Amino acid sequence: MELKAFMVNMVQSELEDAVGMENVSISEAEKLTYGVDYFWIARMWADKGRRPPEPDFIVRPKNAKEISRILKIANYYKIPVHTWGGGSGSQGSALPMAGGIILDTKLMNRLLDINEESRTITCETGMIFQTLEWHANERGYSVMHIPSCLTCGTVGGALAHRGIGIMSTKYGKIDDQCLSLEVVLPNGDIIESLPVPKHAAGPDLNQIFIGSEGTLGVITRATFKLFEQPECRKFCSFLFKDIGTGLAACRDIVQKIKPSILRLFDEAETVSIIKKIIGFEKAGAFMNLAIEGMAEIVDIEERIIMDICARYGAEDMGSEYGEKWYKNRITFFYPGHIMNNPQMFGTMDTVATFDKVEKIYWAMKNAVEQFEGVRFIAHCSHWYDWGTMIYDRFIMDKPPEDPEEAIRLHNRIWNAGVRAAMENGGVINDHHGIGLKLSRLMKEQYGPAMQVFEGLKKSLDPNGIMNPYKLGL
Amino acid sequence: MFSEKTKNIADACRFCWMCRHICPVGLVSGKEGNTPRGRALLLSLDTRDIKLTPDAYELMFQCALCNACSNDCATGYDPTVFTREARTEAIVNEQVPGVVKPVLYRAMAGNITGKAVNVEIAKAARNLDEKSDVLLYLGSSAMREGAESALALIRILDKAGVKYTVLDDEPDSGAHLFDLMGHVEEVHNLARACINRISEAGAKTIVAIDPTYARFFKHQCGEWDLMGDIKVVTATAFAADLIAQGRLTVGKLDVTSATYHDPCRLARDLDETQPARDIIAAMGIELKEMFLNRKLTKCCGGAVLRESYGKLAADMAKARWAEADSTGAKLMITACPACAENASAHVPGNMDTADLFVLLDRACR
Repeated sequence: MELKAFMVNMVQSELEDAVGMENVSISEAEKLTYGVDYFWIARMWADKGRRPPEPDFIVRPKNAKEISRILKIANYYKIPVHTWGGGSGSQGSALPMAGGIILDTKLMNRLLDINEESRTITCETGMIFQTLEWHANERGYSVMHIPSCLTCGTVGGALAHRGIGIMSTKYGKIDDQCLSLEVVLPNGDIIESLPVPKHAAGPDLNQIFIGSEGTLGVITRATFKLFEQPECRKFCSFLFKDIGTGLAACRDIVQKIKPSILRLFDEAETVSIIKKIIGFEKAGAFMNLAIEGMAEIVDIEERIIMDICARYGAEDMGSEYGEKWYKNRITFFYPGHIMNNPQMFGTMDTVATFDKVEKIYWAMKNAVEQFEGVRFIAHCSHWYDWGTMIYDRFIMDKPPEDPEEAIRLHNRIWNAGVRAAMENGGVINDHHGIGLKLSRLMKEQYGPAMQVFEGLKKSLDPNGIMNPYKLGL
Repeated sequence: MFSEKTKNIADACRFCWMCRHICPVGLVSGKEGNTPRGRALLLSLDTRDIKLTPDAYELMFQCALCNACSNDCATGYDPTVFTREARTEAIVNEQVPGVVKPVLYRAMAGNITGKAVNVEIAKAARNLDEKSDVLLYLGSSAMREGAESALALIRILDKAGVKYTVLDDEPDSGAHLFDLMGHVEEVHNLARACINRISEAGAKTIVAIDPTYARFFKHQCGEWDLMGDIKVVTATAFAADLIAQGRLTVGKLDVTSATYHDPCRLARDLDETQPARDIIAAMGIELKEMFLNRKLTKCCGGAVLRESYGKLAADMAKARWAEADSTGAKLMITACPACAENASAHVPGNMDTADLFVLLDRACR
């Protein structure tokens, strides 16, 4: 809805009444800072000097009650609400494409409880994830959610897009690690999921809101598992002749034991990024892993891994490269190392059962590399009992100068890559989320099952104010 | 017009979120515009014809320049470079925010707080020899707000038998003005005049009680080739050395445990974190470290930010106090006049604060 004449000021006054004058802003400069996240199109748009998408209001609530008030106001005026955490998402999920309100959660950053008896930690969701991890570390624990965006993203952001960390193979994905939630529904009601490890009281409310990307409500509080810091952590690295052999070996490993880190790189990534960051010079499929826990058990696990890798003809590269990778695990994402504009790039992470992974890898590579000047690199870095994900990236060094043409090409490449994954048994995404980037492909992914999400959306958000254009909803 | 260096750093930082967790301003305000990434984005847009607006310049002046971001950067980018230059641009374009202007004028006059020099300090300075190898440089803050700390340090030097002088007409070095204006001729002129006056006093070593000034002399004046043979030592390192040499007899204080707030200039800019801990240990105080300590220390507000954006600086001080409180210690020790001022203004009811030199003076017989 367009706010005409002094209606902007009228709504502003109501929002100020809800959260305090100091926590509502219509500053032009501040609006610009919410118009770019990690999404390539948003970055390219700004890089070309185009004006980013801007909200009409920036609102910074301090608790769930204030969010409730904001959503009631937004519903009355039918103003879009875009929840913003750290703004470091790669899918354009938080961008204020429909204007309206940016609901920045970062003032909701209190640690609420560390329960050493139950081994849980509870916080408000505007907390930067690194801060939560520090709180856990202070008491000798870890949340074991260690993504590359640990220092940039909020707890709420990780939940909103079903995030994952580098230790996921042992400690799980965010949806495994989160035990319970508080959520403000679009109508302003504040609800809680059941505060127990598991239950049989109907479907799991957590899993409705985790991954909902701000389209069904605002997650305001979360409780996570706490893990003891491992007594011992050992690193190994191997070189396989090709990615197919590496995939088979890794499958056998995760069927028997759970390394915390397990990363298998295709040849293209081995000879480019891995070479650049950790100085690994050989060609083939590089794999690094970490095993951790009690020292006695780790020793046994190490022997099993050595046996499996030897069976697949892998060259043992020792612990040095595994340690180097771990030391530089975040360096990969700093300017100078990570892909950057003016390059065009994207991460099309998908996930599938073991029998389909290699087929998907080749199908995506072929689909993406059919575009002139586009190269494809990939690794598998999060392993599940029955499958793994492919973290595949495309890079184009010289994209079209014209922003509109570049957007169309970007979307064609994405369509080709993601459709190749879906046609071969993969899914639209493993852990970056859907956002604006993949919204158009959700119906293709789910078919008639999409009506379940649409029904939830219609029921919970009948005015469609929550994060429009995202998640296919 | 921004320099190529600034443009390059802003372009590197505009799409990078990696240091937001450590930015003390962004953490308390919750604003994207208060992060290095937010400021870099605005500046990069300015170079692409989406010009900085007055509210954007406000954001540029709300940075504490504490260097937490540059210290954290794995690839060595320094957002304070473009932030300082944006401030220079604000001055050139007459876009200095209204709340900053009076602070800027006071800094130009060599007195950022606008307060009078403490009479006891003025008296102590008059009683010293005019010339000495060692010159104790107090700086604007220590001469006015941190007088207790400065007077304690003077007594410590006396107890150790150090021959030193303090200029009774101590000129301002321009350290605070440098933070407000950046690399400009006015700052350079102030610095040169200050070093000239110090040289006239025959000083071969400057002992700086305020890490802001120590950093400015050492790095900036050094870069401008103004220092000649004059050496710069922080007061903490100087005092720790006196203890190590046995020139001070330090007794145990009746303080069971304390935490120590590393001043950001001292820890990050000067890479000095151990001397203060050595002094604390010499006084028999059990140190309970904050989780973010040494080079990871979090700025508690600083002098320039406190004078311009008091509420923001107060929130930062309170956030640091919360971290101090979680150590279980009942006392937080500071070693910088600006930190002492910020900390003492927001002490929680269950805690107390003390200046390192005041404690050391008490402990020295």
